[in-house]
Amino acid sequence: MSDVSETGAAQAGGTDRKKLLEVKNLRTYFDVEGKTAKAVDGVSFHVFANEVFGIVGESGSGKSVTSLSIMRLIPDPPGRIEGGEIWFNGTNLLDMSYAEMRKIRGNEISMIFQEPMTALNPVFTIGFQLKEAIRHHRKGLTKAEVTDRAEEMLTLVGIPDARRRLKNYPHEFSGGMRQRAMIAMALALEPRLLIADEPTTALDVTIQAQILELMLSVREKTGDASILLITHDLAVVAETCDRVAVMYGGKVQEISDVKRLFAEPLHPYTQGLLTSLPRPDKERRKRLQTIPGIVPSIMNMPPGCKFAERCPLRESRCDTIEPELVEVRPDRFARCHLVEPEGVADAQEAQA
Amino acid sequence: MHGMTSYFIRRILLVPVTFICITFLVYAVIRQAPGGPIEQAKLQMQAAASEGGGGGGGGMGDTGSLELPQDAIDELKKYYKLDKPTPIGYLIWLGLWPDDTNHDKFSGIVQGNFGISYRHSDPVLSTIVSKFPISIYFGLIAYFASWLICVPLGIQKALRHRSHFDTGTSLVVFVGYSIPGFVAALIMMLLFATSLIGPAWEIFPLGGFRSDNWDDMWAQGEIWWCVKDQVEHTVIPVIAYVMGSFATMTILMKNSLLDNLGSDYVRTAFAKGLPERRVVFIHALRNSMIPLCVNIGQAIGLILAGSFLIEKTCNIPGMGLLGFDSLIGRDYPVIMGILVFGVVIRLTGNIISDMILAVVDPRVRFR
Repeated sequence: MSDVSETGAAQAGGTDRKKLLEVKNLRTYFDVEGKTAKAVDGVSFHVFANEVFGIVGESGSGKSVTSLSIMRLIPDPPGRIEGGEIWFNGTNLLDMSYAEMRKIRGNEISMIFQEPMTALNPVFTIGFQLKEAIRHHRKGLTKAEVTDRAEEMLTLVGIPDARRRLKNYPHEFSGGMRQRAMIAMALALEPRLLIADEPTTALDVTIQAQILELMLSVREKTGDASILLITHDLAVVAETCDRVAVMYGGKVQEISDVKRLFAEPLHPYTQGLLTSLPRPDKERRKRLQTIPGIVPSIMNMPPGCKFAERCPLRESRCDTIEPELVEVRPDRFARCHLVEPEGVADAQEAQA
Repeated sequence: MHGMTSYFIRRILLVPVTFICITFLVYAVIRQAPGGPIEQAKLQMQAAASEGGGGGGGGMGDTGSLELPQDAIDELKKYYKLDKPTPIGYLIWLGLWPDDTNHDKFSGIVQGNFGISYRHSDPVLSTIVSKFPISIYFGLIAYFASWLICVPLGIQKALRHRSHFDTGTSLVVFVGYSIPGFVAALIMMLLFATSLIGPAWEIFPLGGFRSDNWDDMWAQGEIWWCVKDQVEHTVIPVIAYVMGSFATMTILMKNSLLDNLGSDYVRTAFAKGLPERRVVFIHALRNSMIPLCVNIGQAIGLILAGSFLIEKTCNIPGMGLLGFDSLIGRDYPVIMGILVFGVVIRLTGNIISDMILAVVDPRVRFR
């Protein structure tokens, strides 16, 4: 742990903000038809206390697998966490026993999923599902206190007539309301970290912003959890995150604070993503740019840079030598041969 | 809830309509079918005559003299209501038309009069009612046994998917599936009810509901002997019954649980920090039971009516055997009587199925 924490302190730029979560060289593989799919291959990043950290990437980039690995919810088989460390609040989650991990889940780290339609059990009431987590982690509470807490949370996420609504089944809620209930469930125990895996992707565009805002405001009222927000939507990142990791091909390609990422994207992939965003402020109405080609198959990753095939700046070394994730600007990291470090005393490697 | 109540009331009101349609159809078909009571009477007459005549006349040559007299035929037709149009005959049977052979009384199904058996001259209702407990006895035990075996087995197979246990039990399941229940009963009787593989293996009786002297022993207070005897007579038929539903129920349970274990809400439950036991046995299992509960209604039919093939091979005097024998013997009142019970049981079974489904799955709302 030693040398990486030192770099971590350096990343924080002298202000010793407390790292709540630190993922180091995480590798999560899946065995599919006799082959190994390296869904997450050497991912490292950290999340400070009270910050909103985004992981952005296309489908298949490994962002969801990363979040499920932190919760240790990777289905095994076919998946397995091959190596790495996940430090949460001073302990490595990957060293924990199953029973110890259960005390963390839902209590200190909780999670919101993409599909509010299927993420709730259809045969139990919202109240049952909300209360069971509270009851499970807070054994001392009386029945009435648990119900009160459930009602309070449902009110907090903006569901009117909460006491009566607790008796409803998930199918009696709309998609947006179900996601609100999920947020209530996730924040009821005031966790330190909330992992939100594409929380608005399955919702109507009109309520996406509402749900994001709600997540941020409810979190402020319930112990100020850090949020790890998984999304494919750069607009969501711009609206909500403090810092962001851009993932591609099972690896982190760039880590930056959001402001500087949008102002000056360093990695060619990030640049491609940003130019493919519609910008109302652009003078001429141009056709949207796209990144040519497709994401490489997870079963057959190129040996060099994962983005090389689609990169406009590709050089011969990109195909053979995989670049390291290095600090190229103060507190900014990129995995590219072509990004020259500037203003950094020593080109440190982020990875151990 | 209001919509549900009216739905079930409508379903119950539809029962008599469906009942009349089915029974009328069967009544009409049976009347037209060859080999009816008149022909049977003629055959009996001929048989009796050829026996009496000593075979001297050479049978076919003088059949004319062996014909039933026309007035006897008319009498029989009147007795069997074959002189009336089919709908009238049906209404008399149902008890909604006066019966001219019975002092113009309304006397049929509605009044609880199921008629008299052609073969035994016993009232149909008491015949059927006397057979019912025997079929229900085997049916209920077999049904509960199949739940007790298939549900835990299916759960274990799902939790240990692709293990040696799973593969091994699948083999048993599919062998069981490919052997019909009555064949299994025959094999078991051959092995364990005869001295085929040695006298020590002659464990079970060769069919029957109880030993013949059961009632005497019961009267003498030999309760333990009676219980033992009853159990011994029960084992083989129940295994045969269970084998019929064993494969489908076990695999349904396994696949259903496996599906649910991979679902998003199970992941949510794990993410909440719930222990695996709770996730599997509360969250996933409740959903997995839904397809099994749908079968309850259909199963009621088998529970109450019995399987005539198994009853025949195991020589169990239940509803199945009664129906089989009545069909062979063209005993129409008994066939119709069994049909009445069968239809009512199945129709109510379906409604009960829907009610159970509405209870276990809150998403199901009948309108």
